[in-house]
Amino acid sequence: MKIKYAIILALVVIAVGAGIGLKMFFKSHADINKLKAEFKLDAGSLISEFEQDENTATKKYSEKILEISGELKSKNKLQNGTDLLILEDEMQGISCQLDSSWASANQPIIQALEIGKPITIKGICKGYLMEIKVSPAIVLK
Amino acid sequence: MKKNLLILIMLIASLGAIGQGKFISKNAFISFYSSTPLEDILGESNEAVTILNAETGEIAFQALMTTFHFKRALMEEHFNENYMESTKFPKAKFNGKIDGYNSSMLSAPVSDIKVTGILSVHGVEKTITIPAKLGLEDGKLVGSSKFKVTPENYGIKIPSLVRDKIVKEMEITVKANYLPFGN
Repeated sequence: MKIKYAIILALVVIAVGAGIGLKMFFKSHADINKLKAEFKLDAGSLISEFEQDENTATKKYSEKILEISGELKSKNKLQNGTDLLILEDEMQGISCQLDSSWASANQPIIQALEIGKPITIKGICKGYLMEIKVSPAIVLK
Repeated sequence: MKKNLLILIMLIASLGAIGQGKFISKNAFISFYSSTPLEDILGESNEAVTILNAETGEIAFQALMTTFHFKRALMEEHFNENYMESTKFPKAKFNGKIDGYNSSMLSAPVSDIKVTGILSVHGVEKTITIPAKLGLEDGKLVGSSKFKVTPENYGIKIPSLVRDKIVKEMEITVKANYLPFGN
């Protein structure tokens, strides 16, 4: 009788272990739409934080979800079809690559965006390389 | 008349500046690929920055490790946390020079070149020479390269459990569409 329980227990442990393993293996990418922003910032102040001390700002913001408000400077499509928005400054501003599934479901919103108008985006900050890289991102307003 | 001459001189000077300026791409493509029996590993970034100095033939590339995307979230996590240690070494860099550079390379159709420089990955610097292509395609300056690197040479430890399953070399692909910048 004891052996029978031991076997059942062992099987349950294996099944749970395999389940957790498979779940981890097939874990999906973070859905930026559902995640809450950790920081709400103005584009200009984020840029000056990175310009003043890149290392500290990278530690503070890298891989964090930011909600950023600023002026839309350009709107483009990359060769692979990704929508690219640039905030504040064309060369040294904030570069946001839009989440592809969000973008394909919300093309009218992207098309309606006007250069020179204020915009608020939410996305994962990737750090600083001449400009601040945010991807994937979505447009909030 | 004097004024016209002055304008002409300024115009010529500014043309010269364009010819001798810099080219940039802020959304260059970098991927690395490795085939394993279990699954192919492919990481891609569209966010590399590269600058080409038209005067000297120097090329600089930089990429943030966290901008590489993988099919599986777990791969991305392992890549950043276990292999590249992206918080410690957030950027990969290459600083090089085109072998036998001549500014006419920038106005000719795409042709084969070689670039020698220092590749810095995971905090380790190595001098490498890589084959590349550079030149005009549809009137635009494009550059590309495909080469192999061995992660172990850059102090990237691969756990013994999977070491035999991952090939020793990874194939790196780089593509950039350059635009004139500054001046």
